[in-house]
Amino acid sequence: MYLTREQERILAGEEGWVKAKALKVIVRVGEALGANRLVKIRHAHVSGISYTNIGKPGLKFLEELARSGAETIVYTTSNPTCVDLTGESSLIDHSYLEQQFLVNKALEKMRVKPTYTCLPYMLRAPAPHEHLAWGESNAVAMANSFYGARTNREGGPIALLASITGYIYDAGLHKIEERTARVMIRFHDRLDDLTASLLGLWIGESINNIPLLELTPRPSIHEIKLLLASAAATGSHALVVIRGVTPPRTYGEDIVDKISLRREDLLKNYRDYLWSGGDYDLAYIGCPHLSGTEMLRIKRSLEKCLWKTRGKMILSIPPIVSSVFAREFGILRKKGIEVIAGTCPVVTRFKYKPGLVVTNSGKAFFYLRRLHKLDVYLASIEDIIGAKY
Amino acid sequence: MKRIRIDKIIVDGNCRAEALVVDHKISFFGEVDPRTGRTVEGYYIGGKALIFPGTRGSTVGTYIVYGLKYYGHAPACIIVYDAEPILIAGAVLADIPLFIVKEEYEELVGHVKSGEHAIILHRRGEEVLVIE
Repeated sequence: MYLTREQERILAGEEGWVKAKALKVIVRVGEALGANRLVKIRHAHVSGISYTNIGKPGLKFLEELARSGAETIVYTTSNPTCVDLTGESSLIDHSYLEQQFLVNKALEKMRVKPTYTCLPYMLRAPAPHEHLAWGESNAVAMANSFYGARTNREGGPIALLASITGYIYDAGLHKIEERTARVMIRFHDRLDDLTASLLGLWIGESINNIPLLELTPRPSIHEIKLLLASAAATGSHALVVIRGVTPPRTYGEDIVDKISLRREDLLKNYRDYLWSGGDYDLAYIGCPHLSGTEMLRIKRSLEKCLWKTRGKMILSIPPIVSSVFAREFGILRKKGIEVIAGTCPVVTRFKYKPGLVVTNSGKAFFYLRRLHKLDVYLASIEDIIGAKY
Repeated sequence: MKRIRIDKIIVDGNCRAEALVVDHKISFFGEVDPRTGRTVEGYYIGGKALIFPGTRGSTVGTYIVYGLKYYGHAPACIIVYDAEPILIAGAVLADIPLFIVKEEYEELVGHVKSGEHAIILHRRGEEVLVIE
């Protein structure tokens, strides 16, 4: 790999051994992936920080790194943890509160921003062609597909090491020639949240190449979020080109296959996993986290309903918007609705194992089934809350 | 004595250890306990020359590889067919020698399995493994 004099200096330990070691990891991984240089990043997003996932080995690693004086030198945000920062959830298990706060303390000592959300693009929107080192698959897919920025799907540790060095290897989606769409998918109906999730799940399961989506009418960011998160869950897709959405010249086209799909095809394909109505134990909306706008819409729809929900309901949001809605938490709770901030059911544990779960998120559907072995079904927000969204 | 060519040295280091072959890809997260150094099948990997096709699964795997070192159960060296970033990052951070063997991988596995307690030897800087 070609290294600049500045990079050689860091590797030689002239800026401390921690930075040298961090850069050594980036260089070694880059070499194995065939990169011949490093690129400067503008924003790192660190995933894999929930104590219930990373446990003691992860905590020890982060503490040792912080103790050695490691510090991020680019803007660095953090993913959700296992703790509900509203502190009021009756469903989220807080047995690991203390350990999680030790993880947070180590991260904050390294100057990682305490954002605890899977929407890093909401805090700082990436520019087209900008290099990033992001963990969190849904955010990575949004960065590449919606913003036209460049990032591979990094693991938490590598994203953190990149933030300490300011560099990532120039391989994969950092290179324009690796961003060529090969399969065109035409979807002929309007996307709502349910079909966005289903289309995402289907793309992840069925398409190995980078897809080019033609959607009419143009979907909103709300549907795109669900679609990309779902495709990234089932198929590790980090770039799904969407015509008219993905910024021009941030991708290439060399179509070798064309597929045409309709709403009925998706509903038929996933019919065993669609909620048939009736009672549920838990409804979950907010994977990926709800933005302020989305939360406001849902809150308004819920306020129109005088009834209590058919089971418990969880809405998950980024901590940064939670104070805006704090006054409403009590009102919502009376209807059986809990708002949780800075966490989500995928990266935390419930106090009890819920029975039937419904969600509008293909990503939550996939991980809650696979990781937490829950009985999960998909439905649109409108069907779940029983009111116009 | 049998010599196996290394295709790529990712982390270099001396090693002389008993070989342990795992036939499938390993997800360090969920399949290896860093506190005991045991895999879900019950193999103890501490101090072994661990040979397996590659890693899969969660990127938390990096922390687990690092955790093995922390708890004193790190393998003496790791030999894989495919090295994912998860494993490379863990091995670099924990200073565990990591070698990619591609062309002669089958030969390596066959030879180790044919005898009992095969010993893998590697000297820093050399691009070969010696099976004793």
